[in-house]
Amino acid sequence: MITSNIKHVNKVVPLVKPSPDEWSALLEKVGADKDRQAFSTLFEHFAPLLKGFLMKGSNIGPELAEELAQETMIKVWRRATSFQRAKSTASTWIFTIARNSRIDLYRRESRKQVQLDADDFYDQSVENPSLVSLIQVRNKQTILEHLKSLPREQHEVVSKIYYEGKSHTEVAEELSLPLGTVKSRIRLALKRMNVRLAAEEV
Amino acid sequence: MSVQLHPDGDLLVEYSSGSLSPAMCVSISAHMHFCDSCRDENLRLTEIGGSLLSGVAPEALQTSALDEVFSKIDTEVDVAVTQQPVKSNEIQRGVELKSLPAMIQNLIPTSEPKWKFLSPSLRAAAIPVGENSCELALHKIKAGGSTPSHDHNGREVIVVLKGSFSDEDGIYAEGDFIVHHPGEVHRPQASQNQECICLSVLEAPLKLTGAFHRFLNPFFSFNPQ
Repeated sequence: MITSNIKHVNKVVPLVKPSPDEWSALLEKVGADKDRQAFSTLFEHFAPLLKGFLMKGSNIGPELAEELAQETMIKVWRRATSFQRAKSTASTWIFTIARNSRIDLYRRESRKQVQLDADDFYDQSVENPSLVSLIQVRNKQTILEHLKSLPREQHEVVSKIYYEGKSHTEVAEELSLPLGTVKSRIRLALKRMNVRLAAEEV
Repeated sequence: MSVQLHPDGDLLVEYSSGSLSPAMCVSISAHMHFCDSCRDENLRLTEIGGSLLSGVAPEALQTSALDEVFSKIDTEVDVAVTQQPVKSNEIQRGVELKSLPAMIQNLIPTSEPKWKFLSPSLRAAAIPVGENSCELALHKIKAGGSTPSHDHNGREVIVVLKGSFSDEDGIYAEGDFIVHHPGEVHRPQASQNQECICLSVLEAPLKLTGAFHRFLNPFFSFNPQ
């Protein structure tokens, strides 16, 4: 079993972790200079997070999560030139790559005939909008703080949706809840996190 | 004029978290091409994913993982660059295709959309995304023309890409994201001065038990009234 090779020892967490800005700086170094040292630092931090993140999905085991985490990091290396810190944070940018890799995995498994990948369905310019200001990067800290303080049932729904890539309907079925309840929990959670929905403001 | 009709919050959440069908993703991306506010909304929603990623409990990888990744980086040529089947990037794009948002152009493997005749005023060109559960297509209504009054078996989403059209409920301009539920009969009509090109997603009706596994080609199961 491959699992026997996995190191289960917890890594010693460095006392001072790089700040979000420093992760961005490292990504930029990888983009500009193909800096292997910078990439290694990013890998040590993000690859285990990616594996942990992907394993939250009920149908992704440790081996598959490991494979997807590696695949995602390879894409991070290859695409680092397109990362722009003014437009996104390192973790959000890496999240979108992992999300699309997971979509592609599901599509490969269901043997879709058409050779398109998730990157073709998600407009890349949409991921990096031109109007985004640094305020939104700062806003991210707030999102993380608010996430932690969400009531348990709201946190559960939001986690299932983002960690596991499940639709509202799937989450409702899994938790044996009416779809309307799932939707209203998401709405309350977004309101609490200050992520308002434009459509509701109109 | 700014875009009036937007996807609802639930769709934006599913888009950012990665659970929408490819066809629905394309329709949201197409809308965002015209809509700054939904684009910003999506960025904030995507940050939830980024925040959850940075806060998750890490799982150690195999000790050799970083070396493996470096050796793949060194030995494998970028698959995305070399092994893709003929992607539309290499195809010379025609004038009509070039007038559409770039991400739509990238999904069409020919120099122009391959229009099929549906009625004297209406043409459709399917966009293959490899889904059975829904169909993605472009529709073109000629200036002043209208489509037959119709209903669908599943939910239909329309995004106006070029020109404008109207129906019983209103006038729709570039970027508008219109949702029709089964049973809502409508009869779109293009504006007099310009043809109208729309992106449409049509979902197959929900199959409840699987007892009736008839395959529906939802787009052509368009029900004239």
